[in-house]
Formats: sequence, structure tokens, C-alpha cells
Amino acid sequence: MNPGPRSNSSQLEPLLRVSGLGKQYVRRRPFSRANIAVDAFHDVSLTVFPGRTLAVVGESGAGKSSLARCIALLERPTTGTIELAGTNLAALSRKALFSMRREVQLIFQDPSSALNPRLTAGEIIAEPLVIQGEGTNSQRRARALQLMEQVGLDPAWERKRPLELSGGQRQRLAIARALALGPHLLILDEALSNLDAANQTLILKLLTELQAAHALSFLHISHDLRLVSEFADEVAVMYEGRIVESKSTRNLFASPEHSYTRELLASVRSVESILFERSA
Amino acid sequence: MHYFSLQIRGFGRTDVLTQRQKLAWAIVALGAFSGVVLFAGFFAPYDFATQDRDKPFAPPTAIHFVDAGGTFYIRPFVYGPGDSGQGAESSAQGSDQPYPLRWFVPGAPYKIAGVFTSRVHLFGVERPARIFVLGSDGYGRDQLSRFLYGGQISLLAGLIAAILSVSIGILAGGIAGYYGGWIDELLMRGGELFLALPWLYLLFAVRAALPLHLSQWQVFLLLISVMGLIGWARPARLIRGVVLSAKERNFVLAARGFGASDAYLLRRHVLPQTYAVLLTQVTLLVPQYVLAEVTLTFLGLGVGEPMPSWGALLTSLQRYSVLSSYWWMFLPALLLIPLFVVFYAAADALQELHKSVPL
Amino acid sequence: MRYLAQRFVHSALLLFAVSIFSFAILQLAPGDFFTPISLNPQISAHTVASLRSQYGLDKPLPVRYEHWLRSVLRGDFGISFAYGTPVAPLLAVRARNTLLLTGTSLLLAWLLAIPFGIWSAAHRGKWSDRAGGIVTSSLLTVPDLVLFLALLLLAVRTGWFPTGGMMSAGFDDLSVAGKVKDLAIHLLLPALGLVLATLPPLVRHVRSAMIEVLEAPFVRAARAHGIPESRVLLRYALPVAANPLITLFGYSIAAMLSASLLVEMVLSWPGVGPLLVDAILAKDVYVVVGAVMLSSLFLVAGNLVADALLFATDPRIRTD
Repeated sequence: MNPGPRSNSSQLEPLLRVSGLGKQYVRRRPFSRANIAVDAFHDVSLTVFPGRTLAVVGESGAGKSSLARCIALLERPTTGTIELAGTNLAALSRKALFSMRREVQLIFQDPSSALNPRLTAGEIIAEPLVIQGEGTNSQRRARALQLMEQVGLDPAWERKRPLELSGGQRQRLAIARALALGPHLLILDEALSNLDAANQTLILKLLTELQAAHALSFLHISHDLRLVSEFADEVAVMYEGRIVESKSTRNLFASPEHSYTRELLASVRSVESILFERSA
Repeated sequence: MHYFSLQIRGFGRTDVLTQRQKLAWAIVALGAFSGVVLFAGFFAPYDFATQDRDKPFAPPTAIHFVDAGGTFYIRPFVYGPGDSGQGAESSAQGSDQPYPLRWFVPGAPYKIAGVFTSRVHLFGVERPARIFVLGSDGYGRDQLSRFLYGGQISLLAGLIAAILSVSIGILAGGIAGYYGGWIDELLMRGGELFLALPWLYLLFAVRAALPLHLSQWQVFLLLISVMGLIGWARPARLIRGVVLSAKERNFVLAARGFGASDAYLLRRHVLPQTYAVLLTQVTLLVPQYVLAEVTLTFLGLGVGEPMPSWGALLTSLQRYSVLSSYWWMFLPALLLIPLFVVFYAAADALQELHKSVPL
Repeated sequence: MRYLAQRFVHSALLLFAVSIFSFAILQLAPGDFFTPISLNPQISAHTVASLRSQYGLDKPLPVRYEHWLRSVLRGDFGISFAYGTPVAPLLAVRARNTLLLTGTSLLLAWLLAIPFGIWSAAHRGKWSDRAGGIVTSSLLTVPDLVLFLALLLLAVRTGWFPTGGMMSAGFDDLSVAGKVKDLAIHLLLPALGLVLATLPPLVRHVRSAMIEVLEAPFVRAARAHGIPESRVLLRYALPVAANPLITLFGYSIAAMLSASLLVEMVLSWPGVGPLLVDAILAKDVYVVVGAVMLSSLFLVAGNLVADALLFATDPRIRTD
């Protein structure tokens, strides 16, 4: 899924600009004065342009999820700034932050845990609208059905519970919910990792369509380079909580600089090369 | 006593369908029992306070279908005093006359739901005969009627106290689990205090603090409040556990991402996860509190005369003379057993169901 | 070691809090021991007032608590109005009796519960397990009060057992062996009641804990190695199941103590229970506080023992 030709990105303002972001977790030891400080990530800077996809790759535990949550406004970073659509989020009051939440949404890795099993599909999708106080009941319902169609779910399933749906369908449901408020930036926190290969392809296709239709930007957190090669315009490599390399996808695969990047690339092998080795 | 909060594997099959059926039967049984108790006035042949000094400690009235002459009657009858006898004997079975058992008889007036007055009773016999299905006590009061009326008091006390405990529990457990920090520490330590005392001793101690001679309703309300206030710690701890895990769930996080307030999260996502635990707790606590009230009244510390709490019915059994000579006085105790069977069956079924429903 | 010290301090603080709590609650009651007397028109108000001040009942609450605390340190635990003596000796005798009863019953109950539970778990699903389950469930649903009354009924109607008390008349004249026998026969019924009342939940929990452990992979591995089943049960499964069971032990003490109050009342065993009830009816506050504290002490001590046992058997706690 190579991204098609786009307008020259340098002419547009970046949608998301992250500068020097860092998050530290402090644990207090009982009966002790010393506190243990753990860095989840440190001095991270990224830029995402409208309608483009930036992938952040690295091992599990490199702090990627933590980064995703900070940018999604689910956690507060310890240092650094996040600028979304030109607004500095750190400077916002709580009330203003409330309305900014419409701009960015997070899709979780495991849709089963991200969806309340007691609610129906329709209720799940409509929930953001309820929380933000938008529309009447019937308007919200109409919007929910519309979104279901957009993500490829049968609107007749409105009353189904998440457990009655397959993994791929649940992730579609999560995507529909994330789109309800019309965000410009979607963060995919390993959102494809729990799906089998067939579903991965289908969901990727959906995401690409949505990106084209709504000029969405994606921040794709992943450890799977193969996926990244299909779906990202730019790639940032994260190693031990820091960004060590950041380039366009083509350049990264062609000429990796950092040793870790090279390690990552080396471990991605095509089916042909595996079979070739085994037959030898 | 159901102190133990560990999950218990049920004996027998644990597939969901059987548990649902078990629960359904339990609910039906409880409903039927509650219905009878609620309309005690109708089902009981007599009022709970009507004394018959001529017939103290009368054994259960024998019901006959065949009279002395050998004639069979479809309508059963009891023997009562004829014109000659004044029932001077302490036995309810007088000498001569057969008195047929009638249905829907007029009798002592009673109130339905405290509003409507009625005089119709399900069954009865004409005076001066008496029908004591379970016998009579030392004052000649019908034990069956007292049992049915007593149910109103004891069951209601148990139910209200259980709801009170669980309500405090959800408040304390919810706040402790959701906000954590010092308030969590404070509440849980406080709960530990309540759990550190054997509950019966604590109940007695608190009862001791209350004035001993109050009006019946005051005692009733005080008892309920005391029981309810003592038992909040275990439900609170269980609910706290559920809240702790629920608030970390990704769907709560997602809702936060839409800008949800704490109140919304609690109401819509976190607290509904506690419903299963709440229901099981109430089902376990009601019999426990009913028993607490019965025990207190039995020992003279509860609801006083003439309110016929089940404990009052059993009080006379403390005297050996009663215990050895009047075996029927033990019957109300035996009648309690099936009630508790149903409660525990319901609680077991709920626990099994709650385990198999994925969270 | 630090863990145990922590638990000890924690328990001491808990007891302290309990004392404040029970003291405060009881003193909140309107009226006191002398209220019935004060209603008697023949006794002057002055006499009542001086009686009250003699016993310090006219002082404010914190002062009274402080006095009581001093008395505890002295070993008196306050004064009983009804008996006119310090509370401690009164309690001591009763406590000994309650301990005798509860201790024996606790031991018996666990000695029965563990084998039954293990056996049930090992034969899970078979008809013997089902039968055992039915018996356990039936026993569980019988309310304690009904159970104890039934035992009393048995004693009264058959005359096989004494119907109350701890000793027969003429106890002192018996030989040592005779005394032991007499005590045992008086102890039999109350202990039986207590054991029957608390056994079912214990058996169920032992069974449940064992089943859970028996499903663990390491047990299956042990079986696959050909280790005989009895050894698997006792040397592999039971030690792991011991952790929740030791915790259960602490709870079982609480349950046992509560039930003991009732059995002492119904079967007239001269323990703390009847003393407490009488004291409540008479508003003999220091006796009540003392009795409540005593039962808490038993409970806390029992839990400390359980904590120590846990510490000794579960390596996970030691490395925390």
C-alpha cells in the first residue's frame, strides 16, 4: 500500500509537533526516603503532517505505548510540549483541553479490553458524542449507524455486544468510535498486532480509505516493520526511550544509519528468503 | 457463618444453564415465601397477639377425616369443646363436637400494607374450637400465626440491614478503590477494625450501648441500623477490588480520552461492574442478618413482646421444661431451614454465574 | 523477621483502636448501671449520685478512658458494678472456659476438615464426593441457633448428656481421671455443636483450594513422572494449598468465637458469652468492654499465629 503522490508536505503546517517530550514514572519506596525514577521515554520530537502517516517502531517496552498515551492526552508528560493544530496543549486549561480531545483519538491494541462488554455496538460508537454533549439521541444514533457503514460493519449489528463480534470486527468498532468526533489525528497503538494476517490486510485497507476520504493523519506505533513498510510515509525508530533515527520510509529501508535500525531490518525476512535458506 | 470470601467451587455441575435454573427456582421459592409472609394476615388463622389462656402449650391440632362413628367426610374437621366441656383441660382437643375446617373465613381484622382492612382468612374453624397447626405457646397464642407475622419482622430486618450494609459498602469501597491514596488507607484500616471483632460480640456490644427499654419500632429500627452499620467492611473490600481492576480497563481509559468526568466514569463503566458482587453479597447477608436478629431477640436483647419475631418464638425453648415436654415449640426452628437453603442456593448460583460471565 | 514485627505492631495498634472504639460506644449509652436504682423512690438521689461518683461515672469520657487504661495496666480491667470486684479475675475464669471450648473445637474442626477436604478433592465428581457435598451443604444451611437448640433437645430428651454447665455437682470429690472424664462429657455437646457449625465452610474451602492446586501444571508434571497419587497430594499439592488455608485459619477463629458465644448461652457453658449477655442487660460497662477486648485479643492473637505460620511456610513472603 504505497502512499500515492501527495501535495508537497513542506508547504503545509504540521498537524502535530512534539518537541522534547519525556515521561518519568516515580515510584515511592515504602519506609525509604529514596524515590525510584524510571524514564519511559526521553527527549522525543516528532512531526506529523496532515493526511500523512508516521510510524514509530521499536521493541516492546521501549516506551512506545507511553508515548502514544501522552500524545493522546491520556497521560501527562513530564517534560516537553505537544502542539496540535497550532495549539500548545500544555498551556491549556482543563476546559479547553476538553474540546481539544475531539482532535486526537487512540485505538488500542486489544479491542476486547477497549470496549465495554456490557454495552451494545451502537452505544459504544455514540459514547464520545454523549460525553461531549453533542446532538440528540436520534441524531447520535444516526451518526453511529453512518459510522458503522463507513468502517464496513453491518448497521443491523447495532444492538450486538462486542463479544458477539470477531476480533477484526471489534477493531472496526473501535475505529468507528474513534472517528465519531471527527478527529484529525488517529494514534494506532499496535492496533493491528492482535489480528491475524488476513484481518490485518483488511483493516489496513480500511484505514487507507479513511485517510484518503477524511484527510486523516495517523501515528502508527508498531513493532512490525513489514506492516510499517506498507502503511507509513515516515518512520521514526525508538530505542531505549529515545528516537534514534527518523526518515521517510523509502530512505529508512534503503539506507539505515543507526545500528539498531539495521538490526531491525535484518530480522525482517521475506517468505522467499526463509524457504531459500531452509532448502540449502 | 459466611465470613469467607474465597471463591468456592460448587458441588455438582457448573454449567451456566443449570445455575440459571437453580437461581430461577430459588427466586420463585423466595417470592412465594415472601408473598405468604407479606399477606400473613390472610394466611394466618389468628392474630399474633391473641391469647387463649385456656389452651397454653397446646399441641398441634389433629385434623381428622373420619369421625368416631367411622364416617368419612371430604371436608376435614377438628374436635372442639362441646356444650358440656369448657375446655378446662389444657389440650386443644376438647371432648365432643367436630368443627369443620372452613375456607375464607371471617376472623380477626388485619391490615394489608397498612392501609386496607380485611377480615378474611384463608382457613379457620368456628369458635370455640381452635386450629393450632403448629401448636400454641405458653400464652395460648397460635404458633403458625406468630411464625407468619414473625417473618415480616425478621425478614424485613434482615433485608433492610443487608441493603444498608451493601450501600455503605459500595460508597466506601467505590471511593477507596477509585481514588486510592490516603482515603483508601483510611477506609480499609477502618474496615479492618470492624472485621477484627467477632461480629456477634460486636453486635452485642453495640446493642449494649443502646437503651434497653424502648418502643418496639425504635428497637426495630435501631437493630437494623446497628446490624447494617457493622457489616459494611466485607462488601466494601470486595467492591474495592472490583473497582480497582475496573478503573484500569482500557475502555475506561478510552472514555477518559473523550473527556469523561470521574462521575460519568463511575456511573457508566466502573460501578456497573460491581452489580454482580453486590447482588451476591446481599443474598449472603440477608440470611446472616435475619439470624442475627433472631439470635438477639432469642437472648432478650432484640425486639420485645408482643412482636412475634422468630427469635421470640424460640425463646421459650431455653427452658428445659418446655424443651422436654412440648416438642412442637421446636417446629418454627425447623421451618427456618428450608428458607436458608433457598437463600444459600441462590447465592451459590449467583456466584457461579458471576464467575462464568466474562468481565 | 521484619514482617513479623510489622504484623505485631499492627495488631497491637488494632487492639488499641478496638478498645477506644468499644469504650466510646458503650459510654454513649444513656443511663448506666445505677439507672434502675435511681428509679426507686426509696433511694435518694443523693445516694445514687454518690454511688456514681464513687465509681467515677460522673467524669467526662476521656478521663474515664484514662482511668480504665490505668486499670488495665494494673491488671484490673476496671470494676464490675454487679459483682463489686475487679473485672479481670471474673474474666479470667470465663476466658479459660471459653478457650477450652473454642480451642478444642477449632482443633477438632481442622483435624476433620483437612482430610475430608483433601479426600473430596481427590475424588472429585465421583458419587462419594457428591454425597459428601450434599451433607456439607445441608449442614451449612442449618442456622447455628437451630443446631444448638437441637443438641439441647437431644440432651434433654435422651438424658445421655448433661444439659449444661461445665462440671457436675461433687466435681471436687472425683479423682483426677474422674475429673477429666466429667469435664469431657460436659464438653462434648458444646464442642460438637461448634464443630458442626463451623466444619462445612472449612471442608468446602479445603476442597476448593486443593482442586485449584491439583489443576496446576506442576502437579500434572509430577503425575507424569510416575509419582504415586498419595505423595502428589500430600507432598506436592498440599503445601501449595496451605497458603490460602492458613489465611482461612485466621477467619475460622473469628467464626468460631462468634458461634461460641451462642453455644455458651444455649448449652449453659460458663464462658465469656453468658457473662457478656448478663453484663449487657445490667449495663455493667467495664465487664462488657473487658469481654469485647478479650474476644478481640483472641482473634488478633490467632491471626498473628496464622501470619507466623504463613511466614514460616510460604517463601514468597520472606523474600518480599
